[in-house]
Amino acid sequence: MAGNRPIKFRILELCNKSGGAWNYEVVKQIQKEYNLKSDYQRDSINFDLIELAACSLLKDVEAKVDEEGVYKKGFLLHKYVITDFGKARAANACLMYV
Amino acid sequence: MDLQSLKKQENQRRIRKGFMWALFCAILWGLWYIPGTVVWVLNPFDEMYAEIAATNGDGMSLIITAVLITAFNALTVILALMVWNGVLGKFGEMKRTLKEFNPCSKWFFLASIFGGPIAILGSFIAMGFVGGAFAAVAALMYPVVGSILASKWYGEKISKRAFAGIIFIIIGGITIFGGGLLNEIGAGNVVWIGYIGGLMAAVGWGIEGAIAGKGLDIAEPDVGLTLRFLGENIIWWVIAVPILAILGFPMFKYALMVFEPLTMLVLVFAGITFGFCYVTWYKSFPLIGVGRGQGIGNLYGLFAVVFIALFFGDIPSWTILVGGALCLIGSSVMFSEDAGQLESLRGE
Repeated sequence: MAGNRPIKFRILELCNKSGGAWNYEVVKQIQKEYNLKSDYQRDSINFDLIELAACSLLKDVEAKVDEEGVYKKGFLLHKYVITDFGKARAANACLMYV
Repeated sequence: MDLQSLKKQENQRRIRKGFMWALFCAILWGLWYIPGTVVWVLNPFDEMYAEIAATNGDGMSLIITAVLITAFNALTVILALMVWNGVLGKFGEMKRTLKEFNPCSKWFFLASIFGGPIAILGSFIAMGFVGGAFAAVAALMYPVVGSILASKWYGEKISKRAFAGIIFIIIGGITIFGGGLLNEIGAGNVVWIGYIGGLMAAVGWGIEGAIAGKGLDIAEPDVGLTLRFLGENIIWWVIAVPILAILGFPMFKYALMVFEPLTMLVLVFAGITFGFCYVTWYKSFPLIGVGRGQGIGNLYGLFAVVFIALFFGDIPSWTILVGGALCLIGSSVMFSEDAGQLESLRGE
C-alpha cells in the first residue's frame, strides 16, 4: 500500500500517532516510500507539511533548532500532530488508521 | 536567535511566499487580457463570428465564438501545465491524486465547472460585449464570494483587516461597474448580456476558489490545478463543442482552421499566461488562505488596465481609475497584516 496514495494523505497518517512526528522523520519516510530522492523533492515534501499545518490539518506541538543538521542546519525542526479537523478530513478520505 | 523569533521568521517567510504567488497571479492574469482581447479579431474566430452573426445575430454569435476560444484557451493551458508538471516531476503524484475521486479529484472537477463554463465564459462575454477593460474589472467582486464561502464552509478565518480590504474592493468594484453602466446608459446602449457575463465571472471564480481550497487541503496545488483543467477540457471538447456542432454551428470547421502562425502564437501566449496565473493562484491558497489569495489576485484588474492601455493605447475612463485605486488600497490593507495573525488560517 505504500506509495499508492497522494503524498498528503500519507503525511496525515504518519502524523497520526500520540506525541506527533518530527518533520525530518516524515520527510525521510515519504522519500523512501515514494522513491523521491532529490533535494528538490525533499523540500517539496516538507512544503506539503507546511501547507497542511497552515490549513490546520496538522498542528506543531514542539519545535527545536536543527543543531546537528539532521535536516537543514540552523533551521527549525517541527514536531507535528494531526488535529481533529485533520482527522475528520482524513476519515473523509477513507484513510485507515493503524 | 531564540525559538520564538525563529518560529515567527519562518511564519513570515511562508506568508511572504503566499503573497508573492498571489501577486504573480495578478500580473499574469492582467497580461492574459492582451491575448484574450487580440484573439477575437484574428482568423478563424473573426470569420466564425461574422458567419454565425449573419444567421443567428450578434449576441448568439459572440457566445458561440467565446465557447470555441475558451476551449482553445483550456487546451493551451493544459499543454503548459503538462510541461510544468513534467519539469517538477509530478506525474506520479498526479496519477495518485486523480485516482482519489471522492476526497480529491471530485473537488477539482467541480472547480472546473465554476471556473470554466461559468467564470471564463462570462469573462469572454463581458469582453466581447462591453470591452477588455470592463471584463478585467467586472470580476473584481469574486474574492468577496470566495472568502465568505471559505469562512462559512470550512471556517477560514477572516480578520478585521482582511474584511476591511474586501470592503475597499467592493467599493472599488461598484465604482467601476457603476461608472461603466452610467456611460453606457448615457450612450443609450446598455449591453446587459455583457454585464451578466461580468457577474458570472465574479460568482464563478469566487465559488471555484472556495471549492479548490477544500480539495487543496489534502492535495498538491500543481497537481490539483492540472486536474481542474483536465475537467475543463472535458467540458469544452467532449460536451460543449460537440453539442454546438450537432446543433448546426460550424465548430469543427473553424476549430481546424486555427493552425495559422499568428493565431497559434496568440493562443499559446494566452495558455502560458492563463496557466501560470492559475498555478500561482492555487499555490497561494494553502499559504495565506482563499480570501487573501483572491484579494491580492484581484490586483489583476489594475494590471490589466495598465497593460491594455500600454499595448492598445485605450485611455481608461476616470471611474475605472478611481475604482482601481480603491481596489489597490484594499489589497494593500490585507498585504500589511501582521504575520502573527496568520499563524493558522483556520479556526479549530
